[in-house]
Order: sequence, then structure tokens, then C-alpha cells
Amino acid sequence: MRKEIMEYDLDWTLWSMMSNASKLSNSTDKELAYLLKYMPTFSELPALFSAFGEAGTTFFEMAGTYLNNILTARERGKKTAITTFCLSPAILYAMDVVPVTLELLTVMATVMWERGTADYLDFCIEAGFTETSCSSQRGSLGAYLAGLGVDIDFIVNDSPGVCDTNANAFAFTAAYLDKPFFQLNMPSDLTSKRATDYHRKDFKAMINFIEDQTGTKLDQDKLREILEEVKIQEELIGEIEELQMLTPNPSPVEFSFLVYSTRFLFSGSKEGTKGLRVLLEQIRENAAKGISGLSGGVEKSRALFCYIDHYTTDMRFWKMLNKNGVTHLGNILGRSWYEDSPLPQHQGNKDESFSIDTSNMEAMIDTMGAINARMPMIKSIRGPYDNPHMWLDDNLALAKMYNVDFIVYSGTPGCRNTWGMVKLFARDTEKQGYPTHLMYSDAFDDRVESWETTQSRFEEFLQVRRLV
Amino acid sequence: MKTTEFIEIAADLDNPYLQKWKAEGKKVVGYTCSYLPDEILHAVDLLPYRLRGINTTSTMIGDTYFGPFICSFPKCVLQLAGEGQYSFLDGAVITPGCDSMRRLDECWRKTGEDYPNSAPDFFHYFGVPHKIVDYSLDWFVDEIRDLINAVEKHFKVKLEEDRLRASITLYNNSRKLTAKLDQLRIQENTILSGSDALAVILAGTALPRETYNMLLEDFLNDVEGSKKESNGKKKIMLLGSVDDSIELMQTIEGERAVIVADNLCFGPRQNVNFVDESEDPIPALAKRYLQQSDCPRMFGLYKERLETVKNRVTEAKIDGVILQNIRFCDLHGSENGLLERDLEAAGIPCLKLEREYGPMVETGRIKMRLDAFMERLDK
Repeated sequence: MRKEIMEYDLDWTLWSMMSNASKLSNSTDKELAYLLKYMPTFSELPALFSAFGEAGTTFFEMAGTYLNNILTARERGKKTAITTFCLSPAILYAMDVVPVTLELLTVMATVMWERGTADYLDFCIEAGFTETSCSSQRGSLGAYLAGLGVDIDFIVNDSPGVCDTNANAFAFTAAYLDKPFFQLNMPSDLTSKRATDYHRKDFKAMINFIEDQTGTKLDQDKLREILEEVKIQEELIGEIEELQMLTPNPSPVEFSFLVYSTRFLFSGSKEGTKGLRVLLEQIRENAAKGISGLSGGVEKSRALFCYIDHYTTDMRFWKMLNKNGVTHLGNILGRSWYEDSPLPQHQGNKDESFSIDTSNMEAMIDTMGAINARMPMIKSIRGPYDNPHMWLDDNLALAKMYNVDFIVYSGTPGCRNTWGMVKLFARDTEKQGYPTHLMYSDAFDDRVESWETTQSRFEEFLQVRRLV
Repeated sequence: MKTTEFIEIAADLDNPYLQKWKAEGKKVVGYTCSYLPDEILHAVDLLPYRLRGINTTSTMIGDTYFGPFICSFPKCVLQLAGEGQYSFLDGAVITPGCDSMRRLDECWRKTGEDYPNSAPDFFHYFGVPHKIVDYSLDWFVDEIRDLINAVEKHFKVKLEEDRLRASITLYNNSRKLTAKLDQLRIQENTILSGSDALAVILAGTALPRETYNMLLEDFLNDVEGSKKESNGKKKIMLLGSVDDSIELMQTIEGERAVIVADNLCFGPRQNVNFVDESEDPIPALAKRYLQQSDCPRMFGLYKERLETVKNRVTEAKIDGVILQNIRFCDLHGSENGLLERDLEAAGIPCLKLEREYGPMVETGRIKMRLDAFMERLDK
């Protein structure tokens, strides 16, 4: 790793930038323009968010708080756990553990820095990790393997059976750093009683593991408080999803990103609820006026992203959507499976959704297990893509509900799981009448395919399929 | 039986014993992973056949269904299936050995829609957990029962307990014979090359077990007193991704090395650890198969695997360890990184090698790296 990179911890650097960026909205335009000249490698992102006013500022504040929690965990007597976006952090918050979610830190650095996370990605390989593994973990993992982050107490992961590449990253980290490791396993089906029973036992075992690591029992009242907050958040997300069905979609394209980021950062916490309320308020205003959330104000085409977005430097992926008049109708990361949310209501299968029952400890543990079983990837790519309740089913339902014009796959070459089936998926969605574009780029690393190529292929698809 | 006959069987998908089996009107079920209890299929007179991707000359079909960033092993298996070379199969069981192997399920099913007779009628997904705890063992028992139900229903057979117990005994006997083979490999002056030993093991994945045990017993009786393979050669242990290539083993061994031990998916490790014959057969099978921690698909058990390798290195007096992985094999690829770190720290020389599965198109590169490693071992 380059010497200058070794001078600063990843989590500290991100915190410094996020917390300072949140103050930009207090600047005058002249002050802002002057300030941005001194940030040539990440100037556009703060500018973009300052343009969103309260939504942008709130997001930076939230990210700053998340990172500050990591940095100050030790002095506050809390334990830190490396974990994945596939695991709901609510259980960790309920147990007073500070989550260090690798994929979130990777996205923050990828979005903000001109160079992305190249140094950390590459350090993983120096440490013996494969370069073909998923970049969403590698982007920040390299920093922790190199000792450029806070001390980690233990590792919890829930992707074995769903995404072994993801699980492998955490197993590798545990072995490399010699830290205690717990994995939740995922059976290939979602709705059987057998799967539910398995989830319950597995989730209880995870709670026992965390209790052993922290020396503290799970507090029933705290868990109830967190779950009540999750319920509020899911209702807010449900309303956002409902409003996104309008034509034109009143939600700015970047808000999909902010919705799922908020849930990953602060599920079950007041900070997250505040962030979602701010987003919803702005979408409601646009909806009341009947206007599109796109920066150009004209919705030319409606896109569903069947997997993830593309995160490299300055949010240029979303800028590309704005430029082309393409509205973003969500991806696998943000969907709510709460029983009252639009998609489970549309699907009409109660077992596929989750409810929130806070009546007693057993009910709450079942609720957490059910939420967790419906996290991104965990819900819909655990079994064969064409099985009921799985990837194809979910996306075809969404495509219909949201009246989409086309579907896009964006992922990483490290994603063995989706690349093992996405060609089949695309063939099926095309047969159903949805033009489907496969992005061959790496959502976290422009060195795999340059952004210019990615953009040019995307726009070519729009032109050739006459979508704009 | 002579080694050459085992090599002939191992070098082809088809073999005379398989042809005889089919000619008798019996069925064959292909499977992808060593976590499948063969005994279940055997006990209902089905031939368990371990799927391989050998002798492919293209991955055109594999590339059509799988994406580009996928391990070449399942692509080669799919290629052969698409070409109709697996038309002798009456069924297939897919196991989540890793993400790429798991998706062979969908890719093969879809290939079957496009290429007539490329997919068997019976397809079963066998969900093996990734950890060893009491409730995952219960899950695995249920998976085995599901498999039995599916097999009984499709093939119109009935699994009888006494037949299952007999199959367990037969496979345990096979494990005893394989253990003898393994001892021959690690003795001071080994009489078996690694490639010959692999051929013997591979033949077992494609033969009726009764026949295999008989042939293996004959072989073990005959092979004593053969010429020494290891005189002056460096003793190598081979680890990593699935390897059923005799050619790759021969390339590694060359003139200066002999592979006396391995910890490979197709290697003898699958034939150690006995099924407890005194217990109820299904839970006993579940324990034996799930408690194999040798594969990195069992997450969080690296330390156990490292210990196994270190013990083997000592026992077999290994001079160097070769850690190979197929490109895009994240599980073995990254575990090889850890093993390299820890084995080198323990004074055990290691060579880490990435390769493709299938035709040996990189022999020159691999040979050059092996030569350099041998020079290191000479010092």
C-alpha cells in the first residue's frame, strides 16, 4: 500500500469528510464554490448533496454519526463487530454493539474519492485474499487487514448459503485477524416452517454468541424499542415505495440510494427514522405538485435495477440517469418486505413478508429472524432464481407494479452468485417484454471497466432499444 | 488390476463397468459434491456417479448459460451435458458446494430446455449447511430424508434399512482400502506416484462400489513390491480447488517430484472417517458427511484445516506444499493465501498457483513456476 495511504485510518478519514461535508449546506454559494476548489478529488459529491438541502445534509450527518460511533466505541465501552449489509444492524444496536459494515464503508469511499478504494482493494491481494472476490467487501476490508481502522472485537455474517463469496470474505477476515466468528446459515427456501424453525435456532445461537462476546444479556426492553422503531421505518419506506409508483416518479433518482443506505446505517435507530422522514417529505412535496424527481424534470423512461447500483466517484451513475431522463425505481437493496409494504401486498403471500411482534422475547427473536431472512440477497437469491419468491418472481412483480420500461443488472465480477444465473434471468425478463441490460462493470472499481465504457454501453442500450 | 486400467477408467466419462450397469437396465445418478452420501443411492440400486468436466475442447455451452466470471469446472460439466455426453445419466443431484456449483442447477435445467436430452429427468437440489452444530445436523438429516423421498418417488424404489446398513458397511470397507492406499503413498519410499493414486481414487467415482472394492483390493495386493517412485524426489503435498486431472498431477510431478499427499475434493480425504455402523443409519450418515471440515465451504473452520495439513506434512515428511486454485474459486483461492502465510511461517515451503480447469493450456507457465519451486526446495 502507498505510504501516504498508511498515514490515515479509513474510518477516521471517512468520518472527517462526512462530518465536514454535512456543514456545507450552511455555506453561501460563493463560499461553497471556493471550498470545493480545495477538494478536487471529491468535489462534486458534496456539491450534489448540498443541492438537496436538508436531505443531503441529513445524510452526511447520519453517515458522520455512524462513523463517529465506530471511532469512539472503545471509549464508550462498546464492542465493535465487522459485519455485512446482508445482516440487519438492528440486533447489533439492540445489543449495544457497534457495527462496522464493510460494504457501507466501501461505498462511502468509492463514491467520495476520485481514486476509489484501489489501495485497499489491492492490499487484500497482498494479504492473500483473491482478487476475484467481491470488491464490495475488499474496498474497505483492505484497510482493516492493514491495521488502518479501529480494533475489531468479533465478526458476524449471515450470507453462507446465499452468497458464499460474501461469507468467505468474513471467514477470511476472522482467520486473518484471528477474531471470533459467527455465521448464520441460510437454507435455500424462505417460507417453509422448517426454514423458519431453522432461522429461529440460528438467530438464537447468534444472540448467545454476541452475549458471550459482550458479556451482556440481550435486553428485552431495548430490543422492543428498536423493533418499534424498525416498524416506523418500514412504514416510511413503504410510503416512499408507494409514491414511486406514480408517473412521473416524484422521487429523485439518488433517493433510492439514500433510502437503503439509511436502513443499513441505522435500522431501528432514531437517526435512521429522522433521515427517512426527510426523504419522504421531499418526495411527498414533489408528488403533490405532480413533478418528477429527476433533475431535468422530465421522466423519459422508468428503470428497475434488479441488483445493485454503480458507486464509483461522484455519484456519476445517478448523474447519468438524470441526464438521460431515466428514473430509478429501486433495486434489491432497498425493498421492504414488511407486511404492509407495496410489494408483499401485491404478492399476497403472507409467508413471504414479515410482521413485527413485540409481545414477548420469543416473538421478538422470531421477528428479528424473519427480518433478517428478508434482507437484500438473503431474501431473493438464496434459492434457484426461478423458484417462487426468488429473484425472477420478485423482479417481474416489481416491473409490473412500477410500470417499468426496462431492467438493468449492475453488480461486480466478484458476484459468483448472480453471474451464475443473470444471463438466464435476463432471457426470462426479455421474454416477458422487459428490455434488460447487463452491466459488465464493477460497481466499486472503475479499473475493471472504465466509467466511460460503462456509460457508453448503457446509453447505447437506451438508444438501440428506443427507451429514451 | 493394474494402474493403467485405473487410468483408463479415470480418463474417460464412460467405462465398461458403467456400460454393463446400464445394459442391465440399471440407473445412474450424477452428483457434484463429496457431501452427498453415496450410500443412499447405492442402497436403492442406483449408481452414484461423481460429475466431472474432463476432455472438454470448448466451453461454448458453459459460457452461454453461466456468466463470464465463473469457475471453469461447472462450465466444463455443463459443456459435456450440453454436448450429450452425460446422456447416460438418469438423474442429477446438485449441492451448494460453492456459488458457481450451486448455479449449475439452473444453468443445467435451462440447457435442458434448449438442447434435447442434455438434462436428466430427475433433478434434485441437496442443501448442505455450512456449519456443524446440532440444529444444522438436524437440517442435514431432513435434507437426506428429502433426497430419499425424491429418489423413491421418481425411481419407484423403496429404501430398506437393512440395504442401507449393507451399503454403509460396503462404503466403510472402501474407506479402509483407501486408507491402505494412502499409507502406501506416505511411506518412506513411496511406490505410487500422485497421478497414479489419483487415477485409483477417480475410478471409484464412476464404478459400482462392489466392483471398485474388489479391484482396489487386487490392486493393493499387487502393488506391494513395485518399483520405488520417490527415490531422491521431492515429496509434495497438493491442496486447493477440485482437481481430477491426471495430466496436471503428472505435470507437477515431472521428473523431480512425487505427490505423496493431498487434501483435494477428489482425493482420498473423501474416503476417511467412517460412518458409525452402530447408530441409526441416517443420522450416522449425516454426522459423517457434514462433519467433514476439509472444504472451505465449511466457514470458520480454517484453524482445523490448517492443523490437518500440518499434521499431514509431518506424517508424510513433505518437502513442499503446492496450493492451487481454479480462477474464480474464491474459497480455495483465499484460503490458499492464509495457508501460504501460516505454513511458510512454520517453515514449510509453499507455491501458490492459479489455473484453469480443463485442457492443460498453461503447461509452460505452470512448469516454469514449478521448476522455480523445485530449485527452492533443492536449497
